[in-house]
Amino acid sequence: MSNNTLNVIDRDGRQHAVEWEPEQSLMEALRDNDLPVLASCGGTASCATCHVFLDGDVVESLGERSEDEAELLVDAEGFREDCSRLSCQVEFEDRLDGITVTLAPEEE
Amino acid sequence: MTEHTTHPVVVVGSGHAGVAVAAGLRTRGWAGRVVLVDAQHDVPYERPPLSKDLLASGAGDRAAPLRKEDWYEAKGIERVTGQAVDSIDRDARAVILSDGSRLPYHRLVLATGSRARELPVPGADLDGVLALRTHQDGLAIKQSLVPGARVVVIGAGFIGMEVAAAAVKNGCAVTVLEFQDRVMKRVTSPPVSAFFERLHRSQGLRLEFGAAVTELQGDGRVERVLTSDGRTFEADVVVAGIGVLPNQELAEAAGLACQDGILVNEQCRTTDPCIYAAGDVTRFTSPFSGASQRLESIQNATAQAEAVVDDVLDHEVKPSEVPWFWTVQHGVRLQTAGVMHPDDEVVVRGDPERGKFSVVYLREGRLAAVDTIGGLADFRPAKKLISTGLLLDPARVADPGVKLEDAVIGTGPRPGAYETAAALV
Repeated sequence: MSNNTLNVIDRDGRQHAVEWEPEQSLMEALRDNDLPVLASCGGTASCATCHVFLDGDVVESLGERSEDEAELLVDAEGFREDCSRLSCQVEFEDRLDGITVTLAPEEE
Repeated sequence: MTEHTTHPVVVVGSGHAGVAVAAGLRTRGWAGRVVLVDAQHDVPYERPPLSKDLLASGAGDRAAPLRKEDWYEAKGIERVTGQAVDSIDRDARAVILSDGSRLPYHRLVLATGSRARELPVPGADLDGVLALRTHQDGLAIKQSLVPGARVVVIGAGFIGMEVAAAAVKNGCAVTVLEFQDRVMKRVTSPPVSAFFERLHRSQGLRLEFGAAVTELQGDGRVERVLTSDGRTFEADVVVAGIGVLPNQELAEAAGLACQDGILVNEQCRTTDPCIYAAGDVTRFTSPFSGASQRLESIQNATAQAEAVVDDVLDHEVKPSEVPWFWTVQHGVRLQTAGVMHPDDEVVVRGDPERGKFSVVYLREGRLAAVDTIGGLADFRPAKKLISTGLLLDPARVADPGVKLEDAVIGTGPRPGAYETAAALV
């Protein structure tokens, strides 16, 4: 497996090309590239600080969110049923090369 | 600023707090050196999975890194590994490493964490008596949780119960010995303890309360555990989860104020203005309850690290976040915001029989803490109410059909919570 490249849009609308390595969750790829993703629970779907928006078809292809993730997202800032995911719950897949990841607004 | 560029910020310890300080300084513009000193050699890793996913048979042995290995160098964070800090020379502002070398600091951050409390009984040093703190500890426990193994867990706190759940799942015959009369007594109320006791027992766990361990016996390797009431429990492996002790010796020897933890203020400063402390090792006054506390949690480690970074960068330190914690046992999540007190009024929302409920802790009519079990719907609203300190109607709080925020009956703010409360009304 080779690295994926992500097109990440930060909270100021700036674009970043980010390398995503096969061992990393999507959250880890964002955090290792200094994007302001707090991930304050360490990637265990216990907070919503790694909330991102993905294209609707990508979200659909990832399958169902766990119950914990769904409940955290519903209350999260800017939640969108069709686009929202916790990035710590998105594992590397080759087919996700080139996707666009938009950081959700920061929690208050 | 010349001093900033010549003298580094030295961070001792690379758990969640230490790495978060280093990362925060770098990503938020600290131009000087950042040195992360760690007695271990591992790439710093996430701790929560060690007592959860890591222990499951069939799961990988990897500890998820806090940052990938080459990140540190890429960010200009110098890692000194395999070296402990032996002492602090406060007058010269330098730390002395175990190889005798000196490392000058502009600011020093003690993120030395905590260690597992050892069983204070004969036989605690026998082979097969384990504790869980590091990745290596986790792997050693995992290896011993083989099907059929007789596992005795001492202590029914988060760690003990998480290990017990993993052991049962891996096919071991597991007994938990707890000195108190229920599980997780220090952190939660009877209804929550009762729920988790039922859950664990339904999966085959044997739970023994009032069981004070007096001795471990065996020929080189542990074979049995003795309790003060004269009972004997056969064991192939013993896991002790009886709490942690703060690694404060370095600070103590340097003359910094310590009292079961290094004492820090809201900026995470110790009694030396050039030395900070963050994470498990600290003791501080809760801005919410006024209680002196030591919090062993990733949330506290991360929040305190942020306060350190703010203060080192001369930024204003943000108001404290309500502390929160979680545990997962047999797939059921208990997530807590705030710190309960045994005198709090306990209000159960929802039906524990259905596996999904919350317990709200009211103190003088205000929300002091919440436990959410098997569902997070009340978690964030409750956390917000804890920080605002609004008065709640207990009858409405008890009605799971009423949203918590709709149970507010007035401001009646606590001192310190006034502005936020006023802004909400």
